[in-house]
Amino acid sequence: MSNSKLYKGSLTTIILKLLNEHDKMYGYEITQKVKALTKGELKITEGALYPALHKLEAEGLLDVEVAKVDNRLRKYYKLTETGTKETVNKLEELAEYIKTMQALVNPKLA
Amino acid sequence: MKLTKEEIKFIDNYLIKNEVKFWDVRLELLDHIVSAVEDKMANDGISFNEALLEVHRGFGNQFIEFGVSKDRIFEKGLYQSNIGFKKFTRNKQKELGRKYRKMTWNHLKTKFLTFKFWLEYIAVILSFITIYQIKPELSFLIGLLVLILPTIYSAYYTFKDKSTRKSLNFAMATSSAMLVWSMYNLSYYILKENYENAASMPDGFFVVVACLFYPMIRTNIDVYRKVYEENKKSFSLKFL
Repeated sequence: MSNSKLYKGSLTTIILKLLNEHDKMYGYEITQKVKALTKGELKITEGALYPALHKLEAEGLLDVEVAKVDNRLRKYYKLTETGTKETVNKLEELAEYIKTMQALVNPKLA
Repeated sequence: MKLTKEEIKFIDNYLIKNEVKFWDVRLELLDHIVSAVEDKMANDGISFNEALLEVHRGFGNQFIEFGVSKDRIFEKGLYQSNIGFKKFTRNKQKELGRKYRKMTWNHLKTKFLTFKFWLEYIAVILSFITIYQIKPELSFLIGLLVLILPTIYSAYYTFKDKSTRKSLNFAMATSSAMLVWSMYNLSYYILKENYENAASMPDGFFVVVACLFYPMIRTNIDVYRKVYEENKKSFSLKFL
């Protein structure tokens, strides 16, 4: 697995982007989706995912819905209206960051 | 591979033994652990115990097999910690505190934008002034009652409904409502310096403070009700 510290700052953007593409998702589903999309390159640990989800919920970017699934309760996360707007901003910020890094690391490609 | 009801119950008991006492924290952890164990058993071909152990470590908890030499005999033992679950609960607690403070502030702003609330606020102030002019001692008692209204509300709901007990959401909503009481205490200690003792303080003090904090008290009660209704909805789905 690659250096996870490099991905750390982008975790909230990753979560927001995934929730923007899906109507609602639960915690474990997010970790599995990221693992599948990155072909196992990025594994989000439980210790990193939930603090990020709870933070986004506290900031009013995510809303929560509880439903009964297979003999247990499941907490689904979905974007609020503010969350949808913030996703656009965060993705723009990330694209800008990638562009800057590209210019620094590989000026020929930038 | 789906876990049986008994296996899910086993994981819930395992969480209780690991001191995850709040049911609203447990429900999220339980779903994650059950999903991960099911996945590991089906895709990695490992047993229930092995899968649970892997997930236990995944949350940052420890499970170590150790050996110590004691009187020429080598003794083996197991050490397990719930540090990861503790961290999970602490973090959620912190974020819930932020969420309710933000919610209270937003409710307060919205309230001041409604004509209905201004009417209510003016009526409360006029009632206090009238009571104070007729019977100052009574206004003192009513003022005190208004200030402890969120506490009375919290106690009432705790008594009335099981969903409020051992709920981190409700515990944090209560703690956020206590902010008014802390603000009152602060103003009391600032003003106390000018009087010989508490009894010599004018009855009007409570009236002024109660009127000043009334919008905050009213907002706290609204936030309380919102948290209560959301919590009750999840609790009624039956945990297990």
